[in-house]
Amino acid sequence: MLAHILRRILSVAFTFIVVSIIIFLMMHSVPGGPFDANDMPVSEAVRARMMAQWGLDQPLHVQYLNYMWGVLHLDFGVPFQSPGETVVQLISRAWVPSLILGGSGVLIGAPLGILLGMAAALNRNSWIDYVASTVATLGLTIPVFVTSMLLILIFAVWLNWLPASGWPQPNRWILPIACYAAIPLATYARYTRSAVLDTLNRPFVTVLRAKGLSERRIIFQHVMRNSAIPLVTVFLPMFIGTATGSIFVEAMFRVPGLGAYFVSSIEVRDYTLQMALMLLITFMYCLAYLLSDIAYALLNPRIRVGGAE
Amino acid sequence: MPLVEIEGLRVSFRQYGGTVDAVRHVSFSVNEGESVGIVGESGSGKSVSCAALLRLLPATAEVAATKLRLDGVDVLKANKEDLARLRGRSAAMIFQDPMTAFDPVFTIGHQIAETIEAHRKIGKREALAEAEQLLLRVEIKNAADVLGYYPHQLSGGMLQRAMIAMALSCRPKILIADEPTTALDVTIQAQILQLIKKVQAEFGMALIMITHDLGVIAETVDRVVVMYGGEIMEEGPVTDIFEAPKHTYTKALLASLHSRFEPSKGDPDAVAPALELRGLAKSYHTRRRSGFRVIQGEFQAVQAVDVVLPRNRIVAIVGESGSGKTTTGLMAMRLTEPSKGQILVDGTDISALDAAALIPFRKRMQIVFQDSYSALDPMMTLTQIIAEPLHIHGMGTQREQREKALKWLERVGLNRSFAGRYPHELSGGQRQRVAIARALILEPTVLVADEPTSALDVTVKAQIINLLKDLQAELGLSILFISHDLSTVKSLTDSVVVMYRGRVVEEAPTERLFADPRHPYTRALLDAIPATNPREKRLRTFLSSEEIGARTPRYTVIQTGSAPSAHPQLVTVAPGHRVEAIVTT
Repeated sequence: MLAHILRRILSVAFTFIVVSIIIFLMMHSVPGGPFDANDMPVSEAVRARMMAQWGLDQPLHVQYLNYMWGVLHLDFGVPFQSPGETVVQLISRAWVPSLILGGSGVLIGAPLGILLGMAAALNRNSWIDYVASTVATLGLTIPVFVTSMLLILIFAVWLNWLPASGWPQPNRWILPIACYAAIPLATYARYTRSAVLDTLNRPFVTVLRAKGLSERRIIFQHVMRNSAIPLVTVFLPMFIGTATGSIFVEAMFRVPGLGAYFVSSIEVRDYTLQMALMLLITFMYCLAYLLSDIAYALLNPRIRVGGAE
Repeated sequence: MPLVEIEGLRVSFRQYGGTVDAVRHVSFSVNEGESVGIVGESGSGKSVSCAALLRLLPATAEVAATKLRLDGVDVLKANKEDLARLRGRSAAMIFQDPMTAFDPVFTIGHQIAETIEAHRKIGKREALAEAEQLLLRVEIKNAADVLGYYPHQLSGGMLQRAMIAMALSCRPKILIADEPTTALDVTIQAQILQLIKKVQAEFGMALIMITHDLGVIAETVDRVVVMYGGEIMEEGPVTDIFEAPKHTYTKALLASLHSRFEPSKGDPDAVAPALELRGLAKSYHTRRRSGFRVIQGEFQAVQAVDVVLPRNRIVAIVGESGSGKTTTGLMAMRLTEPSKGQILVDGTDISALDAAALIPFRKRMQIVFQDSYSALDPMMTLTQIIAEPLHIHGMGTQREQREKALKWLERVGLNRSFAGRYPHELSGGQRQRVAIARALILEPTVLVADEPTSALDVTVKAQIINLLKDLQAELGLSILFISHDLSTVKSLTDSVVVMYRGRVVEEAPTERLFADPRHPYTRALLDAIPATNPREKRLRTFLSSEEIGARTPRYTVIQTGSAPSAHPQLVTVAPGHRVEAIVTT
């Protein structure tokens, strides 16, 4: 088991390095640079001096190693958009709203989705099942910017219960969180429903009934445990996807989160921030898949205990 | 008062557009300590009737009965507490496939203990101690270890033992065994049947044995209920049913048990055999991780097998699952690449031919698989399926191909009106007929039949065997018949090759092999065949698998003299009869 985990860590670390190289090369293959003539009209000598000062005249692999050495020390440089702070400072400032809103969205949406999916599976072809399917379909098909507009229209404009947008008062969080919760809720409702139905149809459930176990014990101990195995693998990647902020939701609700910087750093060629954001996302996904793998192995005795005698 | 009373049972399933009756007018009873067998083919309602007795049917089932009582409780009116008492304590069940009958994420010990805890006020520790005792009683030697094992760590036979232990855990008054040995190998099947009889006697339980196999019935029960199409055809003491069957269906069932043996007419003029395998072997590379090291290994699926299939003959390869018989069949067709050895078709070695050179030989060799459902493309009509080989080999115009396909449809006993149907509209037996038509439309000389009747019901199985026999005689086919079912082999084939763990351990003409088996494994295999007559119910010694294993010598020893060797080798003991043995002087 320990060896299994260590092997996973090595393979994830390898993935991270490969992705970082690809990102680095892509940044360099984009035509243009920070000291281009139309962006910065300086003389050739000054440009050369600046290139040398920033190490941009060195071969690509040296630049990459320099950069990664900085990354290891959490030094991502200075964002071009706001030179008064470091990239790390900017990200840790902007990530907070995204993490609060997106994270709460998943933490609220996923359990609700699981409950809805279970209720649907246990009452198959009843009204609950139809409601669950409808919710799941709507949640997955309506884009977030439509959901957010609808929410603003209903709760802020018509009912006038909640402020339409802004930050940081907690009552302004409610609508964006609801928006974020829609997708995990819908995804989990669907996954859970099919996972539970799948388990219920397996022969061992009949055996459990024939043994005289109570229906409650069968559902909550055996069916849940078996259905959870496919569900855990979805959770963390979804959490990362949502908790790093959505450009649309943050724009709609005017949240000063991470999402906006994804767009702006590309627009203004903010290489340092761009690289940092992409590496951050890559790292988070790598970590998410690693933890999911470990959780999967822990839940599944076939992997935890290994092969047959 | 009888333990089980069923009167006028009717079970119907709600479906789109109405209800379908699965069981009608079923009445029977079981007394304490009595053994009753319910025999019938799939869909005959035998399992449904017993599931209704424990209210295990899905919500779409409607159950009605004038009387449905178990252990004095009216099952239809039973509330939650009554049901919990009935299930497990009054009646316990064991199921067909032990591999899927346990929850994969809990240990065996946990699953037995939770059954005990559900019915008695007892602590986890005592429940586990009791579980260990139960495992010992079903002859699991390392019971303490098995408690901590997960289902995937045990073999099918061991799991079925554990399932029996679990069923016994609450001292039920009746044990309902639903096809308990169907998913197991023949030798394991015999052990499990013995075990069921033993624990039945020890615990003084009644037994309902649900099966499609008359041999199992003859071995285990006193009284038989024969079901067909959801109704009871006849009922009576087991000897009466076997000796004086009244109903035509029962007669057909029994006839399939005692099928005749006619050797096929070989072709003595032929020089080369239709198919010859010389030293054919298959090994797989295995990689096992141990910590960070990867241990490379080699797994010998088949070790240097020699098989000769003479022209116009039927040769069987028998063996249990994992013995390498299917791999051998696939290698003979070059559907699996052999690691070593030669494949001679009419004297030509095809083992090294490239894909293009192989095409003319493909026409001469065809195969029929066990699972006819997945062997037929569900998106094609029967005519398209049967005509496809002609299309592939570019034989004839489209019209001719279609006409020929229709002829073959009739030749395998299906009506022309089936031409436009799709595989899912057919029964298992009908699908297997289509698969046979598809294989034979090219008029091959060699047919590899890989367990073609294993998935079929007894009466249908007999029809397919007869069809194969007739076609073999008409076309002058040579058939390599791969099977684990010795009774089929006995009635169909001319000679038998017995495989065990990737080796050929014995080979002989069919009659000779059944009359005079030499290898210990062949003997064990023949011993394991259930009796075909309840009067022959053998009094077997109740030995555990380990004890049987320990008592059985791995090889026979033969004194021939000339070339003694410490390694076992195939020795000819009679014309056409070879057996793996250790040769001494």
